[in-house]
Amino acid sequence: MEQRQRTWKKNLYENTDYPDNYTDKTFLEELKKNVNITEISPLTAILGAGLVTQELCIIVFFVAVYVYLHSGWIEPETVFVQSSLVAAIGYLTYRIVLTDKNYNEVLITDLRTVLIFVVFGYVLSPVLKTLTDTISTDTIYAMTTFMMIIHLIFFDYGVPSAIVSSSLSMNAAIFGSVCLASRLASPFHAFVLLTNAVECFVLLPILLSKGRGSVIVLAAMITTAVYALWTVSLIMMFLFICVTLFVTVLCPVWFLRWQKHKENIYGPWDEAVVHDVRM
Amino acid sequence: MGGVEEHIFNLSQCLISHGHKVIVMTHSYGERVGVRYMTNGLKVYYLPVRVFYNQCVLPTMVCSLPLIRYIFIRERITIIHGHSAFSALAHEAMVIGRLMGLKTVFTDHSLFGFADASAIITNKLLEMSLADCNHCICVSHTGKENTVLRARVHCGRVSVIPNAVDTAVFTPDPSKRSTDSITIVVISRLVYRKGVDLMAQVIAEICPRYPQLQFLIGGDGPKRWLLEEVRERGGLQDRVTLLGSLEHSQVRDVLTRGHIFLNTSLTEAYCMAIVEAASCGLQVVSTKVGGIPEVLPSDLIYLTEPNVPSLLLGLETALANLRSGNVVPPWDCHHRVALLYNWMDVASRTETVYHRVAGEKSKTLGSQLRRYMASGVLPFLLIISLAHLMLRFLDWMVPHKVSIRFTTSILLNI
Repeated sequence: MEQRQRTWKKNLYENTDYPDNYTDKTFLEELKKNVNITEISPLTAILGAGLVTQELCIIVFFVAVYVYLHSGWIEPETVFVQSSLVAAIGYLTYRIVLTDKNYNEVLITDLRTVLIFVVFGYVLSPVLKTLTDTISTDTIYAMTTFMMIIHLIFFDYGVPSAIVSSSLSMNAAIFGSVCLASRLASPFHAFVLLTNAVECFVLLPILLSKGRGSVIVLAAMITTAVYALWTVSLIMMFLFICVTLFVTVLCPVWFLRWQKHKENIYGPWDEAVVHDVRM
Repeated sequence: MGGVEEHIFNLSQCLISHGHKVIVMTHSYGERVGVRYMTNGLKVYYLPVRVFYNQCVLPTMVCSLPLIRYIFIRERITIIHGHSAFSALAHEAMVIGRLMGLKTVFTDHSLFGFADASAIITNKLLEMSLADCNHCICVSHTGKENTVLRARVHCGRVSVIPNAVDTAVFTPDPSKRSTDSITIVVISRLVYRKGVDLMAQVIAEICPRYPQLQFLIGGDGPKRWLLEEVRERGGLQDRVTLLGSLEHSQVRDVLTRGHIFLNTSLTEAYCMAIVEAASCGLQVVSTKVGGIPEVLPSDLIYLTEPNVPSLLLGLETALANLRSGNVVPPWDCHHRVALLYNWMDVASRTETVYHRVAGEKSKTLGSQLRRYMASGVLPFLLIISLAHLMLRFLDWMVPHKVSIRFTTSILLNI
């Protein structure tokens, strides 16, 4: 081993004693891995996946109401009264417990909105019922399934991402329910179903977004959905249980296990980020 | 003309003077198609390949194969030297050359991150292309680290040979400097990667503080509006001069008018501009990104973090030193840079790589395919095999006479 005159330095002009392809032991010293990593607990992972399950449960509630109305197991008046009660309780919880605003003046504007919706919905329900009347039932069911899948995909689960679009998600769900409304017996049936659709796909997500990350809410919703399906179809119940297990248990387990394969490399070659642009 | 083109031109001139035969091959530039001769009989082939976006050709792999093969045979090429990771033509020529049993060298001029999708795809393509490359050259040690990580090349197969500047051209001329004001020169393309956002904020902040300060900005690009806006808003029309794009021959005359050179790049493998500025005797203030800290000795450069407060501090230190006379005199600066970087040295170091590569054994098709297989993209093997079959077919259709020449013909391509 010949004695080097000078130690190697990481610059381009002082290493004339060394061959050009010399690799020093300081090579890649400035390499950093996984700088911005955050530790994810199993509970966070399950609750995160639970948001998808919750949305799935809401779709199951809505479809169960449809099946009940369609088969005549329940009178539309009963559904209307019960769902209105649930909505009223939900509204009061949201306004009084979860938001600390002066709710007296908000109450009046909200009541006006509800009134407008109910009157217009009632007046227009014959039109909505006959809107997709001429389309075959198979097409209607396929369309509704497709729309509900779109609802699930584009729903705002609270993660900022390019794919999220709450308006598309909501509109798809409402369109799916308008499709289903045409299969019901009377315009009043259709009106009740659409009221339910608005409660499930517009109001309930607002309420649930306040209770994100609660195991009790998640468990309650899954249980209710399973019970609702049990009264409708056993096969569907088993299918739902399998999907729920896959989404809420298996996916988080995979997600956590594959965290260790995460390998982000950082070093001096990274492009600097311009932070304070005040132009 | 950017750093890469200049590198190729200067390198080929030095190689020609060392007795090699050098051919440059590139795609067409507008109407410029065919063969041209440059200084000292440097032959440039402008291939009739269409540019589709940002001076890049579509990576077709096989379409221009007959043409490239014909040039290789006609010019009796022995070594192919591809430049720039973004050049599809260079990678194509290197793949075809290796299938014809020629040696390949690749120079990487840019740095690339690992975080986004486009980086992942580009890095995979580079890994595929370099899997069987004989030797790589990087322009800085940071560049070498980057290339070794990106392309999974063994570090012993990567040499670091910096760029140089033509110090005979870039000489100081203190008489051109203005005596009653201090001029800060910026010469770069006005794009995001060159840190135009930082530059605009620095101009807006520092101009009110130093009334005798002048800015001279050479270069053009999509971010030019930002500088114009800053100039409008601050009422700095008489103090910030935008020169638009400059010919390389004009750069020296702009540089000599300045006292301080400002570089705000966000990423840079080597940064030719700061060496040119130092060679013209300017004080250099630059962001400390990529390979820039390796380029100049610490007394010739003020390194700053890539943010506005740090750049302002760097500029203010430079201004204070200028006022107190605590600066390296322009000619001393020039002589030191001339000692550190010259193209003859770069050329002889590149020659060492060529000699080393020329001594390596040619690989069989099987062993080449095995190298490509390591990158994990198996469909690529089909393309290689197709190119091989096309070459065999062309050998039968248009046979070439075997002849042995002892001068090295080097093909530089971009």
